[in-house]
Amino acid sequence: MSQSELAPLDPAKGVWDEHELTRRKFLEITFWSVTSVVTVGLLGAGSRFIAGNSFEPSTTSWVTLGPVAELTAGEVHRVNYSFKAKDAWRMVEQKGALYTFSDDAGATYTVLDGTCTHLGCIVQWQGGDNNYQCPCHQAVFTREGKVVSGPPPRPLRKLDAKIQDGILMAQI
Amino acid sequence: MSKVGRWIDERTGLGGPVRSFLNYAVPGYVHKNALYMLGGLTLIIFALQAFTGILLAFFYDPSTEGAYNSVDFITYTLPLGWLIRGIHHYGASAMVILTALHMLRTYFFSAYKKPREINWLTGVLLLFLTLAFGFTGYLLPWDQKGYWATNVGTRIAGSVPLIGDALMQLMRGGANLGQATLTRFFATHVLLLPATLALLIAVHIFQLRYHGMSPAITEKGKKEGGKFVPFFPYWVVNDAIAGLGMLAILIFLSATQRAPLEFPADPASSNFVPRPEWYFLFYYQMLKYFPGGLEPVATVLIPLFIFGSMVLLPFIDKGEERRPWKKPVTTIAAVFYIVVIVVFTALAL
Repeated sequence: MSQSELAPLDPAKGVWDEHELTRRKFLEITFWSVTSVVTVGLLGAGSRFIAGNSFEPSTTSWVTLGPVAELTAGEVHRVNYSFKAKDAWRMVEQKGALYTFSDDAGATYTVLDGTCTHLGCIVQWQGGDNNYQCPCHQAVFTREGKVVSGPPPRPLRKLDAKIQDGILMAQI
Repeated sequence: MSKVGRWIDERTGLGGPVRSFLNYAVPGYVHKNALYMLGGLTLIIFALQAFTGILLAFFYDPSTEGAYNSVDFITYTLPLGWLIRGIHHYGASAMVILTALHMLRTYFFSAYKKPREINWLTGVLLLFLTLAFGFTGYLLPWDQKGYWATNVGTRIAGSVPLIGDALMQLMRGGANLGQATLTRFFATHVLLLPATLALLIAVHIFQLRYHGMSPAITEKGKKEGGKFVPFFPYWVVNDAIAGLGMLAILIFLSATQRAPLEFPADPASSNFVPRPEWYFLFYYQMLKYFPGGLEPVATVLIPLFIFGSMVLLPFIDKGEERRPWKKPVTTIAAVFYIVVIVVFTALAL
């Protein structure tokens, strides 16, 4: 804020230094230049720091879902998985829920991520209705994960799956 | 005033107070003497510590399991983490140095005398709060240095007669150093101390403005005392440039010598020699001269005497004389303290 008019001082106190006042504009420009450079620099560095690794893609990992012998063909099974993963500066047990079923007598399995594509709640398999329902906003998906009704923009995410030594695995 | 400025002023009434704050008349002997920049610089370094501290809090994990790894992550993995932690680490030392120098300037210019006693007292508290910031801050990485320095530091409090044990357990949040200690040091460092310090700084600056600058002590200064310049931009520009220089030094230090992080805290290690930060080394050295039953002399009496004499100073030294060369008692006392601190620090290095 610049204020070119200075109120006169109480004569008992003293006077403004007229000689110094001729440099006022120059010093104001100097002040604002220095302050702007420092502020921009600090805010830039600070923003980069806070962003941190926020934009790094999440790493993929193969997780074990269990022996295929226990996953009866034709039925939809809910399986929980967990694996050790690095979460920022900690090693944690990362957990999640998947749905899986086989339509070819256990030769291959379809694995669906149970995370609703609307806002991320976990959908529930309703055997009686033969569909998945999301408890949050009443979305309904078919057994294969296609949207039947409700707000989700996309079908449930289908994961790569493989059977290794009789164990079903999926890439999350 | 610009159109926008007038719009804001009509709605907030801030125009007048801001203008009178910025146009505050600063006497020539102050504006032309670099020693008067120390207070402003101390404020700038505090702002810088607050800024980098807030940033660090975005990643710091105040748990005994996570603290060390989060600081390691900040220092070695995060983009610009070395810089932000470096500025905060070296900035802590800069803040101690500047607070002490600012206080010495005030002392040698007798600026604590009537009617500025309250300002001196808030300054004394600000100095001790700055040291408390240092003490609580270097436990947070939960590395060997922080852990053992806090172990020793809280035991020093424990040696106070009668109330020592209670004091130590209050500081630790229990009998031993652990999660409770880390959490309360964290809360003290990031909430209690900054809020208290900011409030005291506001009182300190209000007092400065209320009483104006203390009179010049030299004949030359007195001659320049009748001529004034407005606070903005004359005084602030000097501090802004000095602040930029200080920031450059902190960045240089951070880039050339990473802020240290020792091995993770290990309560079972027997080969680690605990040593405090450099600004507590003189005290660490002094404790060596008071073994056994004499310990409370160093842990209670001497600190109380120093704090007490600082508090009482403006009420004891009430004379008109302000020139340090005409006041041998206060000058020699200060020089004695400075020599003791420097010698003890050197002995402990």
